[in-house]
Amino acid sequence: MSDATSAFSHQRPVNIAFGILIILLYVFLMAPLVMIVGASFTGGLLIDFPPQGLSLKWYFEFFERQDLVDGLLMSLRIGAITAVVTMTVAMMAALAGQAISGRLSGWFQLGMTLPLLVPELLTAVGLLFFLYKIELGKTVVGLQMGHILMSFPYAYVSIAAAMRQVPASLEEASASLGATGWQTFRLVILPLVMPGLAMGGIFAFINSFDLYTISLLLKPLGGNTLPLALFDFLTYEFKPTAAAAATLSILLSILGVAIVQKLVGLQRAF
Amino acid sequence: MATVEVRDLRKRYHNFLALDGVSLKAESGQLVTLLGPSGCGKSTTLRCLAGFLEPNGGEITVAGESILSTPANRRGFGVVFQNYALFPHMTVAENIGYGLKLQKVSKSELTSRVNEVMDLVRLDGLSDRLPREISGGQQQRVALARALVLKPKLLLLDEPLANLDARLRDEVRWLIRDLQQQSGITAFYVTHDQSEAMAMSDMVAVMKAGRVAQFATPREIYQKPTERYVADFTGEANFLSCTDVTPQGDGRYAIAVAGTTLELGGVPGIASGAPAELLLRPEALELTMPESGTFRGTVTKSAFLGAALHCEITLPDDSILKLSAEPNTQVTTGDAVGIAIDRSHAWLMPKVAP
Repeated sequence: MSDATSAFSHQRPVNIAFGILIILLYVFLMAPLVMIVGASFTGGLLIDFPPQGLSLKWYFEFFERQDLVDGLLMSLRIGAITAVVTMTVAMMAALAGQAISGRLSGWFQLGMTLPLLVPELLTAVGLLFFLYKIELGKTVVGLQMGHILMSFPYAYVSIAAAMRQVPASLEEASASLGATGWQTFRLVILPLVMPGLAMGGIFAFINSFDLYTISLLLKPLGGNTLPLALFDFLTYEFKPTAAAAATLSILLSILGVAIVQKLVGLQRAF
Repeated sequence: MATVEVRDLRKRYHNFLALDGVSLKAESGQLVTLLGPSGCGKSTTLRCLAGFLEPNGGEITVAGESILSTPANRRGFGVVFQNYALFPHMTVAENIGYGLKLQKVSKSELTSRVNEVMDLVRLDGLSDRLPREISGGQQQRVALARALVLKPKLLLLDEPLANLDARLRDEVRWLIRDLQQQSGITAFYVTHDQSEAMAMSDMVAVMKAGRVAQFATPREIYQKPTERYVADFTGEANFLSCTDVTPQGDGRYAIAVAGTTLELGGVPGIASGAPAELLLRPEALELTMPESGTFRGTVTKSAFLGAALHCEITLPDDSILKLSAEPNTQVTTGDAVGIAIDRSHAWLMPKVAP
């Protein structure tokens, strides 16, 4: 009884402390974003926070820079293909993971997330050698393969988690009602894992959009992704154009989250 | 409808023998219950029938033809699961119409057949609800309707009432039995609840460690069990050790038990002098004056339960008999009493290793 009373009397300060912790956490997470978004609207000539006056001129500047726009388009294209391919392959892998039982299953899961566990630089170097061997070194296809490899675990983890929520008895029920394996997948499993699948695709896209090291090593001659183009740009010029580009990337991520929310609802995706 | 026969079915997982030669037979239109504790192989047998598991040996035939090489989706059996296994993203009507849709049945026929079966299981007005929006009892009725709408050759029910509360359990139990009898579908029903098994079944298979301990009608299972395990699992029972078993022919035996000798029926084939035990169900026993009963004993416990007076009587050889007496019987602990037995409800069984 005394324990319960003391817990009750301490509840208020604990709640306040917890609230402060949460606020600090959000400040920590949001501060860089606020800085960069703020700086993109500056009227001055340098990346600066708080911004000097308000202006959209750095956005116009961004879209006038051919190298940055080319980088953006390349990143979008590679990200979109990465999302589609990883969703498909990760869905198949998750189905296989479900079918594997016992001790092997743990190893399979680990194997599927391996690209997350190995340093990106090492994967990139290894892949570079491999791509040269199959004569795809320094090509867009090679870069695309690298992005798919690095983004696959994100999609897989999200889809496999969704698959685990589908009880095996649903598949059995479907079979007993006359459905083939494909019909069961299309009519029962796919609709139920859709939120996880969409989330996986968006994770893969955002991850691909953000990859730097592997892009640096595998990039085709004369082609740049947006992060590479931005880094090149910042090496010589410290203009708020970069902040505008970063803000556009943030908008893109928000758009992705909004799509998930619209399609399936965020609660179901996580 | 069809006769279903299971012969010498075997299933092994790694180093665990789940089924060790199960043989059963369901005549057309019968409801056969597989009764036993968890791990006895009853669900494994059902899953082999459904085609979800491949047995390592044995044979399953429907109307004389083997179905083992037919995959689950072409067996045409209805399966009702313990957790209902309704598709959570489909409405009640879509769940029930799922199988018909796969068969590419016309829209009008689909609607009319779904409505018909919903009427049958009393689900009117719920067609547009999602499974999570209806009660457990209703969900189980949807599962039943979903299986029945396809007019299956065989209905397989895996503990369909286990997740329902007591009141609903009764209701759904009678619904299942009524529908099964009306439609004449052969059915296998898995349960660990003996009263369910007794009330619903044409035949009961009591299972024990991957084998069928006894396969018979509910009456025989209860009154003439082949071994103590079966008697124990099917209801309250008293067991007394017997000596001097002398077969009298025709399944009758003379025995010595707790200081008296008796002549009664029992499991055929018990050898002379073999270890045996006497089964006495509580309702076969009656309290009498000390001098007039078959046995004499002392009341060691009595509890008033409303409808009956529960008594435990210790016999001179220290064995204990439990029985239900008329609630107004005047007995207290320590009283000397006699016990009369209804000999037609006493049954001799061979003593086997548990």
